[in-house]
Amino acid sequence: MYTVSEMNKVARQMLEGALGSVWLRGEVSNLKRAASGHTYFTLKDDRAEISAVRFKSVSPFLPAPTQSLQDGMEILAYGRATLYEPRGRYQFIVSLVQPAGLGALQVAFEQLKRKLQKEGLFDEAHKRPLPAYPMHVGVVTSPSGAAIRDIISVTRRRFPLAQLYIFPSSVQGEAAPTEIVSAITSAQRFSASHTPLDLLIVGRGGGSLEDLNVFNAEVVARAIYACQIPVISAVGHEIDFTISDFVADRRAPTPSAAAEIAFPDQEDVRRQLQASLVQNLRRVRAGIDRREERMNSRLHEYVFRLPGNKIDSLSQRLDMHLQALLREMQQALTKRTRALDHAQGLLRLSDPRLPLRRGYSITHISGEKEPLRDTANLSPGMSIETRLLHGTILSNVLEVKTDEDR
Amino acid sequence: MKIDESLNRLEVITKRLGQEEVPLDESLALFEEGIALAAAIKTSLDEARLKVQKVLEKAKGTFAIEDFDL
Repeated sequence: MYTVSEMNKVARQMLEGALGSVWLRGEVSNLKRAASGHTYFTLKDDRAEISAVRFKSVSPFLPAPTQSLQDGMEILAYGRATLYEPRGRYQFIVSLVQPAGLGALQVAFEQLKRKLQKEGLFDEAHKRPLPAYPMHVGVVTSPSGAAIRDIISVTRRRFPLAQLYIFPSSVQGEAAPTEIVSAITSAQRFSASHTPLDLLIVGRGGGSLEDLNVFNAEVVARAIYACQIPVISAVGHEIDFTISDFVADRRAPTPSAAAEIAFPDQEDVRRQLQASLVQNLRRVRAGIDRREERMNSRLHEYVFRLPGNKIDSLSQRLDMHLQALLREMQQALTKRTRALDHAQGLLRLSDPRLPLRRGYSITHISGEKEPLRDTANLSPGMSIETRLLHGTILSNVLEVKTDEDR
Repeated sequence: MKIDESLNRLEVITKRLGQEEVPLDESLALFEEGIALAAAIKTSLDEARLKVQKVLEKAKGTFAIEDFDL
């Protein structure tokens, strides 16, 4: 179940998402100029109508000022369909009005788009992959605009290892296209002779249609296309599309999004490091486990000739060592490293022949398997066998002494 | 080493550690190398301060570079 506010909000988002900015053709009626300076009217055709509003603050530059609007006039209006949530009213917010039949900006846009598309400037094959970890990134934009502030703040959060180089340019007005082109050229010369740039972001924040139109200039489009550094275009808001977006290697919906696309998130990098260490530790441990198994089978061969209780005590000792080993391994991640050296040492310790290696030996009465633990069954003249690390000694007993005799 | 080279090297290390025939000594050395690499990357991330500069081309190929403050 929705509340009214919730539903109106969802409806507005759906409406704005589905339509974006569009050109709308219709006849003006019910025209009212409010004291606030806003202009309200209805746009209609022969079968339907929609409320429209043009706010005073939208833009001072208008080919056809709303003052000239009259009831009954056929116009082309550029704007966004939206829903005014408090009233649940569906309406069209107009940013630009032209007498019907002209649509000069739109026509120019469509013509240039078709021309460049035909020339292959939008081809996917020409688009280059972006670097995964760009360290030196150029930004062509106004140094005083919202775009550079957004890009800096996102980059600082995501990937402060990078360096940004701003190539200043105006991004509105008649001189803007030429300035953008020369800033892009500068960036390439800088990249070739000073610091190689991994990526270039070209753009500006949201603005009026005329402002954004700077990025529809053919010279700008060709400069972006010809740029030797991969380019992300970042112009205006989500729904604004410019010719620059089509020729760039990648389009970002906003300048902030350009920085999100350009840079990896340092949190992801940190997680990746952690994951790779955990995986490495597992693999080293698996290697040690394999050796442990091999050793176990070797131990098995060796103790084949030993009585059961001996085997038990040996394998118990081995278990103890291996458990210690495991503990050490688990601490290794946090303790960083040294534990593994211990592990190596413990592996050596768990060698079953270690006592023999140290100089101890095992003795039993000739013809018997049981190792001797005391002298109870021995008497002078008996023959015994002593097993060393390498080789066996056969001897005759000369004399037997108990511990008490010492 | 650049961060992408370090991360690539880490990947190579992980791959090598997954192979059965790696000698124990080598695998421990690789493990330590991986830890050192990861620690170096982490430190450089911890210490990183974004640097922003404004570049003006005074004459063709001659650049004036200054720190950029908002």
